Amino acid sequence: MTQTVEPQVESTSEDQTKHQPLGVYTRPKGGNGWRDWVTTVDHKKIGVLYGAAALFFFLIGGIEALLIRLQLATPNGTVLGADMYNQMFTMHGVTMVFLVIMPLAAAFANYLLPLQIGARDVAFPRLNALSFWVFLAGGLFLNTAWLFGDAPDGGWFGYAPNTGIVFSPGNGMDFYAIGLQITGIASLVSAMNLIVTVLNMRAPGMTLFKMPVFTWMILVVQFLLVFAVPVITVALFLLLFDRNFGSNFFNPVMGADPLLWQHLFWIFGHPEVYILILPSFGIISEVIPTFSRKPIFGYPFMVFSGIAIGFMGWGVWAHHMFVSGIGPISVAAFSLSTMFIAVPTGVKILNWMATMWGGKLLFNTPMLFATGVVSMFTVGGLSGVTHAVAPADTQQTDTYYIVAHFHYVIFGGALLGIFAGFYFWWPKVFGHMLGEKLGKLNFWLMLIGFNLTFGPMHILGLQGMSRRIHTYSPGFGFELWNMVETIGSFIIGLGVLFFLINIYVSAKKAKGQPPIGPDPWDARSLEWITPNPTPIHNFDEVPNIEELDDFWHRKYGKDENGKIVRIASAEEVCQDGSATDTHLPSPSYWPLVLALGFPFIGYGLIYSLWLCVPGGIMILMSIYAWAFEPPDDPEGNHGDHHEDTTGEVAEEVSVD
Amino acid sequence: MFKKEFKFSVFLLGIFTLISACSSGAELDTLNPKGPTSRSIDSLADPVFMIAGVVFLIIFGGTALLWLRFRDDHSDEEFPDQIHGNFRLEILWTLVPTLILAGVSVFTLITLSEINGTDDNVMALSVDGEAISWEPEVLVVGQQWWWEYRYYLDGLDGVDLSDARNLPPADIITSTQMVVPTGEEIELKITSRDVIHSHWIPALNGKRDAVPGRVSPWKIEADEPGVYFGQCTEFCGLSHARMRMQVVAMEPENFQAWINRQIEPALEPTTESSKRGKEVYESLCVRCHVVKGVNDETSIGADLVSNAAPNLTHLMSRTTFAGGIFNMYEPDGSLNRTQLEAWLRNAPEEKPAYAEGRRGMPNLGLDEGQIDDLVAYLETLGEKPTIETIAATEVE
Repeated sequence: MTQTVEPQVESTSEDQTKHQPLGVYTRPKGGNGWRDWVTTVDHKKIGVLYGAAALFFFLIGGIEALLIRLQLATPNGTVLGADMYNQMFTMHGVTMVFLVIMPLAAAFANYLLPLQIGARDVAFPRLNALSFWVFLAGGLFLNTAWLFGDAPDGGWFGYAPNTGIVFSPGNGMDFYAIGLQITGIASLVSAMNLIVTVLNMRAPGMTLFKMPVFTWMILVVQFLLVFAVPVITVALFLLLFDRNFGSNFFNPVMGADPLLWQHLFWIFGHPEVYILILPSFGIISEVIPTFSRKPIFGYPFMVFSGIAIGFMGWGVWAHHMFVSGIGPISVAAFSLSTMFIAVPTGVKILNWMATMWGGKLLFNTPMLFATGVVSMFTVGGLSGVTHAVAPADTQQTDTYYIVAHFHYVIFGGALLGIFAGFYFWWPKVFGHMLGEKLGKLNFWLMLIGFNLTFGPMHILGLQGMSRRIHTYSPGFGFELWNMVETIGSFIIGLGVLFFLINIYVSAKKAKGQPPIGPDPWDARSLEWITPNPTPIHNFDEVPNIEELDDFWHRKYGKDENGKIVRIASAEEVCQDGSATDTHLPSPSYWPLVLALGFPFIGYGLIYSLWLCVPGGIMILMSIYAWAFEPPDDPEGNHGDHHEDTTGEVAEEVSVD
Repeated sequence: MFKKEFKFSVFLLGIFTLISACSSGAELDTLNPKGPTSRSIDSLADPVFMIAGVVFLIIFGGTALLWLRFRDDHSDEEFPDQIHGNFRLEILWTLVPTLILAGVSVFTLITLSEINGTDDNVMALSVDGEAISWEPEVLVVGQQWWWEYRYYLDGLDGVDLSDARNLPPADIITSTQMVVPTGEEIELKITSRDVIHSHWIPALNGKRDAVPGRVSPWKIEADEPGVYFGQCTEFCGLSHARMRMQVVAMEPENFQAWINRQIEPALEPTTESSKRGKEVYESLCVRCHVVKGVNDETSIGADLVSNAAPNLTHLMSRTTFAGGIFNMYEPDGSLNRTQLEAWLRNAPEEKPAYAEGRRGMPNLGLDEGQIDDLVAYLETLGEKPTIETIAATEVE
């Protein structure tokens, strides 16, 4: 008898436990204000947080860049000393790569990827929040090195043994090793999350080859991250142990080969370049078709060239080591592999141009930035081919020619593309447009400043100016172009300033106004089917996908003459965001608390191991709490009405 | 808007044409080869630059054309044809770049084997009246923040190079200036005592890293007598910017004369002041420096970062000091006493270093009398070069 009763009793108490387990692990209610932002698991809010944090670091990295340029404006500059200069260029590189371009790409990926595939959220919303907070914790931790007066000074590439405890006795390189380790956790978690999301959560009918190119590029990038980040993780652990626990992985005096670090770093570091650039390729593959009013030219080739770049990116790392003494056979092999990675990249550029061919081009700000990428990235790609030619690279490597090259790739390719994305998706995210006038001013200032800053670096490099030198002597012919570059860098700064002004002015203008309304750009991909700004639940109903650019096909069809005609207005096609019955994941405290544990461990490793104890406890307790907090809060504002008290609701909800 | 774009493209073109125009006369110019190796690199790089330039013009011009031609003029409301792609075009623009790059890679491989091959050239020299045949070889050792050049006239074959911190005694040791005969291919063996550096004389060859624990082969050859400037190009810490060097190439007979002088030990000082200077040297400087005939190289313990410092036996035969950043002589040929004294007075003030970590010359706390004596002693070490050499090697 008792046996038949017991399950019923258990089920009830289990149900209660799920909703109010001891009252300790109740989930936050969400709602409005800052509490909502720190506990959110909404992919859109997390995307905005990524963007805001990355822009903050962008300003820091930009100020570092301007200080570098001030120091180099004239020969024998005295703005920064040698020591400060070395810290400055190291932190500029680390910040721009790990704390600006990567998280800006993550911002777009987080916000748009679920929308482009017709999903309610990412597969693991709490993990998504964790990625962001861990990234922020790592980024802030790294930058606090400035406050302790001891920023990393061994370059973002951190070549051993110069980064060892003997040659870099300060704490700077520990901040580097631990800080990047923490942001690496964020990248890995996020990569897993987005891969699962793309593979499992696409709307019905959206086959892989109906996904927008942006989603494809983000997917490729996440696979690169999954395989690349572990390599840098290993390298950073070895460095950390060398510096703090007396190991000798990179100590040549004890017989180690310092080239081990170079191999590990660049096996990560080269795919990293594609991690930086592919999201931007994805963005402009959305922008160019929209403003050319044509579909992307050669969609399968765009997708496969992205995949090909992802694969080939693993076979070119030693081109960073052409003068390291790895032997002529290795040099020859990597020289050839590097040359041919230019082919899929070239295919992309020509396909963008072919997309524009025969179109009706509208040069709104996003399109200006996108065409900026097409032409400026080409310069970087071509200078890349000139140092794939290994003998020529022995003259070019570690000179300003290389600095010119990768700024044309990272600034001219990745950053301009991200700015195209800002202007393009701003109405999607905030419900109002960024100003066109200020936008164009922003674009032209940035483009001209960019070319004034980095164009002359080609010349300086070929004139023999080395990289990473805190000063140079007069008489080598470096004076003129260095001054031009410094002026150019401040023009870039002015461009960025106009971007910030644009954000402020357009937000102020939009205040009290109704949102922009649906589909401001006459766009093509699925995210625009939702209203602007996107409602918390994304889609009122999950759309059925029939075609690539399904959204566009809902608006346009062909008449009897085969001419393209509008068949439905945006208002008819777009959802109005009125649905209230979508179940949404509940907010949670634990991603934030877990993330805050990492800096404690970081400071502990540097200053006193005792600090690792509270950090470790925070992390372990958060994981425990994470596992035991109820699936959702009955009172929470997440769209679920909870009329059902049988416990089925609790069974249904995802385990986010 | 197109006007702006056009102006901008003209500006960019200007920049790229200026590359060649502006670089002539600069001492580190990479496009002005003065030896066979750098020439074969240059003759490979130039056509590649041209191909890249043409492709750039096509893409940039094409983009500008698209701007001009397909800009929406709002003349009608018609939608453009929805072209999804063209398989043949895709194949075409996959194959054409592949073929161009295949062509480039053939020439790359040829040049690569050229610059990595070595001649078996042998040079007849006489040392102490004895004729020897020398395969021109120099051991290049980098350390923070200067270069050492070691000449083993019996050849490097039997020399144990496994520990760059404790090298066998060499016949001639110089620093900052490598002296070579013209018309001979000089094989370099490049290594480092501490961190990674990179040896680069742009006029003669590309770079090769100096990696601790490794000995990397490289070579240089100068056509004409002259001075060729270089700079360390792998970031090596604090004073990376201040780690420079020069190759001084001279006719073989002058090189023979240089050898004759350099293998001699230092002369005994004769004046009172220089004798006192030698005592200062023997009490303080010998911890790191070597003067042949006075003290020998001592082994470097594993716990020390470095106590290698430039060999001073023929200091006065070199025209720069402190890692190639200061002139030893004034333009009129007199000793640059002010700079040398400043260096002895407080070296870390003159060039950033971690002197307390024994990396770089420390402040020895010498008084002015000791500095004068020391300069008097140093002046006895080696022969002053010609006024022409002083002029050609001058650094700013």
